[in-house]
Amino acid sequence: MNSARYFAPKGIEEALKIRAEHGETATVLAGGTDLVPKINYYDLKPAVLLYIGGIGLDYVREEQGVLRVGAGTTWAGLISSSLVTAKASVLSSAARQGGCVATRNAGTIGGNVVNASPAADLATPLLVMDTELLLESEAGKRTVAVRDFFTGPGETVLRGDEILVEMSVPRVTGKTVFIKLGRRKAMTLSVVNVAVRLDMDGRTCKEARIALGSMGPTPMRCTKAEEMLNGTALDEALIRECAVQAIAESRPIDDQRATAWYRKSVGEALLARALAQAAGKDS
Amino acid sequence: MKYALTFTLNGGEVDVLVKPTDTLLDVLREKINIVSAKRGCDSGDCGTCTVLLDGKPVRSCLTIAMTVAGRDVKTVESLSSTDGELHALQRAFHEHGATQCGFCTPGMLMSAKALLDMNSKPTRDEVVDAISGNLCRCGAYYEIIEAIEAVVNSE
Repeated sequence: MNSARYFAPKGIEEALKIRAEHGETATVLAGGTDLVPKINYYDLKPAVLLYIGGIGLDYVREEQGVLRVGAGTTWAGLISSSLVTAKASVLSSAARQGGCVATRNAGTIGGNVVNASPAADLATPLLVMDTELLLESEAGKRTVAVRDFFTGPGETVLRGDEILVEMSVPRVTGKTVFIKLGRRKAMTLSVVNVAVRLDMDGRTCKEARIALGSMGPTPMRCTKAEEMLNGTALDEALIRECAVQAIAESRPIDDQRATAWYRKSVGEALLARALAQAAGKDS
Repeated sequence: MKYALTFTLNGGEVDVLVKPTDTLLDVLREKINIVSAKRGCDSGDCGTCTVLLDGKPVRSCLTIAMTVAGRDVKTVESLSSTDGELHALQRAFHEHGATQCGFCTPGMLMSAKALLDMNSKPTRDEVVDAISGNLCRCGAYYEIIEAIEAVVNSE
């Protein structure tokens, strides 16, 4: 028996009202690329499907230097947006390497974030850009820094009455790099992904951001490793030490894609490469 | 609970009753008897259920049917003309032996069609990227790429 109900509101207010009425029993549907396999395999039996593809969250705009990306923007939308390419190239770089044409046409940035996979490829770029997430409910709005959003695999601070509406990315300073390693190039989850941002003054690093994906229960920042670089002149030895420190902060597991040992080994190498590239060296 | 769903399929309007958890693939195969879209993995990985939604390739197995209300869906049946003449891509697949068991072929064709609609002169890398989400267990990738390139070069 299947008595699921379906709602496709036309605006955000209506969507929030339905979300409030049905609370945790409402499953929010956007592109479906993460959600529908769970339905097809009977891992999820939604009582209420709340489709938010029609509520106007597919947009990218810039306001006073802040890039505002609607949660309903697809991966393809991120790739084709000249604004994203110009202002947040690390995000379009990650988007180009995710899934394949067909899943990039459907899957959304908001879905990638809310699904909260430790391997979410768009999460690490958002982390290094100090992105804030706008969460709305009938009770009001709140913003949560993306680094405070994830609490575990598939777990976030999003409440049962809330919808993720928008990512706001402050003006990105410095150079960013994203590197993904998967079992193959297309249609694969990351074995490891790394995103870095280095704001350099000559050879001195003014501000560093380092994020790792698939290296712990959530996409994570490596703050101790970042502190090693802040205010310091970068050289190859320091970059290597920093990569070792970042990996020491990670907590990867063995799973079907790779062992924890392999993730640490390859993660250290990829991070050192990303840092060298962001520091302006050829590699 | 069942809902009335209306959408455009290969140029004609269809009306069906669906459950909220039915996918577009469920509806095509089990309610409309369009079985060209295959059920390979039901999780988005294999690509053989690929159809065009408003001209863009999507996985019909990952598309909740209700979300295509009022939209335009095209399956491989839309490629040939009404008098049965094959599309250039279909002819090229045939001529280059790009089908073996044929299970991936409808998805491959729709991915290739979407590519050529967007970009009539793709590079080989762009061809490979366009079908990177379509698995062929027979391993006929070389012939498939060759067939698509033959169409590109003939235009």
